[in-house]
Amino acid sequence: MTETQKTAEAGTETGKLITEKDIRRNWLTYYMVAEMGISYERLQALGFTTAMIPVLKKLYSDPEDMKEALKRHLVFYNTEAVFGSPVNGIVIAMEEQKAKGEPITDKSITGMKTGLMGPLAGIGDSIDWATLKPIIFALAATLSATGSIIGPFVLLLLPLIQIMIGLRLSVYGYRTGKASIRELLHSGRIKDLIVGASTLGLFMMGALSSTYVKLSTPLQFDFGNGNEPFVVQNILDGIIPGLLPLLAVLGLYWWLNKKSQNFTVIMLIIIAVSIIGAFTGIF
Amino acid sequence: MELLVVSIFAGLWYWICKTDIGYAITHAIRQPLFAALPIGLIMGDVKQAMIIGAAVQILYIGLVAAGSNLPADDCLAGLIAIPIAIGSGLTPALAVAIAVPVGVMGVFVDQLRKTVNVIFVHMADRYAEEGNTRKIVLASVVYPTALSFFFRFPIPFFAILYGADAVNSFMNSIPEWLVHGFSVAGGLLPALGFALTMFVIGKKELFPWFVIGYFLVQFSGIPVIGAAIFGLCAVLLITYYNNNKKNLEV
Repeated sequence: MTETQKTAEAGTETGKLITEKDIRRNWLTYYMVAEMGISYERLQALGFTTAMIPVLKKLYSDPEDMKEALKRHLVFYNTEAVFGSPVNGIVIAMEEQKAKGEPITDKSITGMKTGLMGPLAGIGDSIDWATLKPIIFALAATLSATGSIIGPFVLLLLPLIQIMIGLRLSVYGYRTGKASIRELLHSGRIKDLIVGASTLGLFMMGALSSTYVKLSTPLQFDFGNGNEPFVVQNILDGIIPGLLPLLAVLGLYWWLNKKSQNFTVIMLIIIAVSIIGAFTGIF
Repeated sequence: MELLVVSIFAGLWYWICKTDIGYAITHAIRQPLFAALPIGLIMGDVKQAMIIGAAVQILYIGLVAAGSNLPADDCLAGLIAIPIAIGSGLTPALAVAIAVPVGVMGVFVDQLRKTVNVIFVHMADRYAEEGNTRKIVLASVVYPTALSFFFRFPIPFFAILYGADAVNSFMNSIPEWLVHGFSVAGGLLPALGFALTMFVIGKKELFPWFVIGYFLVQFSGIPVIGAAIFGLCAVLLITYYNNNKKNLEV
């Protein structure tokens, strides 16, 4: 079935057509406003509802139906906006079916949203924010470290790539519906994507740590006249280059895993340790 | 005069970027590295601004907002540290020293915003009851944006306008070891960002890849872009061979 046939059929009951352009516009609006009204109580609920309004207006001419639909979408919602985009497509597909009189309940729409938002956010966080972002930002910082103005523009690659992915995935969600998304989540392809992104992510964390983490010690010991002073850093470099920065990253990783993820406290501890180390001459 | 212009710019920039319009769009333009360009243009030293911007940027490369809470305010850190560092002729290491506490302070402003925004959620609930879609849009986009001006704009504005002198005289009076301590911290803090990212990725069985990446750069000294190319190719090949194996088994 061609695209036009499909949308024409979907719109026969209400007389209004939901087109793939509507889906893209819905996701793009959501992308723009998702975080603007963010709050601890419902996180992205306001942004998601705002993006839904044009679609809902097309689907529901009865004001009572409209009110119900608005209330339905003002519930707690939070995902990673890019890889969570199939949810936008699926929700529109469900609303469309509901408007046509299919027995789709509030609960099934909310259930689908809350069921998918977590796993999709997990995928998005590991691909968008833990892999793409550090790589792009590190490239940008490297390019500008000597004063070049290219770096700032390289940063813009992140939203550019995100928008390209989101526009495709939201339409994909609309076309295939909730069953196929669940299938996809369990299928090998998504697993491959996450493992691939995680692999690249960890590899790049290693490469970036090597480039950007700096720690060395000026410690040296004198053993009387005539003997070469014992320079600790030379010994360390002799064992393995970059040992101290590596230990710093591994130590912090261990701490995050075993102790606490309180970023602010760890940051302050690092500063305190650095200053004490500088005062005592260890660093 | 120049200080006033840069203060106003920083105030407006902080407000616009932290309305979070456009998800990663504002995430990209609020980075210290991006803000450094207009700041450099205003202050007439683009090159130094870029160098300092890149140094501050490194602190926040690996920052991951787990559960939408960003652990440090990269935007405020850059907006305050870069103009002060350029204005006072501070080294990038000292710019980092200013950026860190400022970045921590910014987190509290974010928490305040997410608490205050609860008001608009309840407004939207009422408007939904009335079926008023126009007012829902106002409550989710316009009101939070307008309100946030009052707690975003003043912070960098006053910090730069009045803080520059204070920071300058403080930096001139601190002892050598303290300056050195801050530059040690500047070298160590990126480690936290990378460790946090590894924690978020959370795949222990892939850990050797971290070691490979670390020592590839350590022994060969290739730049980041080179490492990224090798890494990407390795991942693509592994995925390809894995899929091939699966197909053969079937």
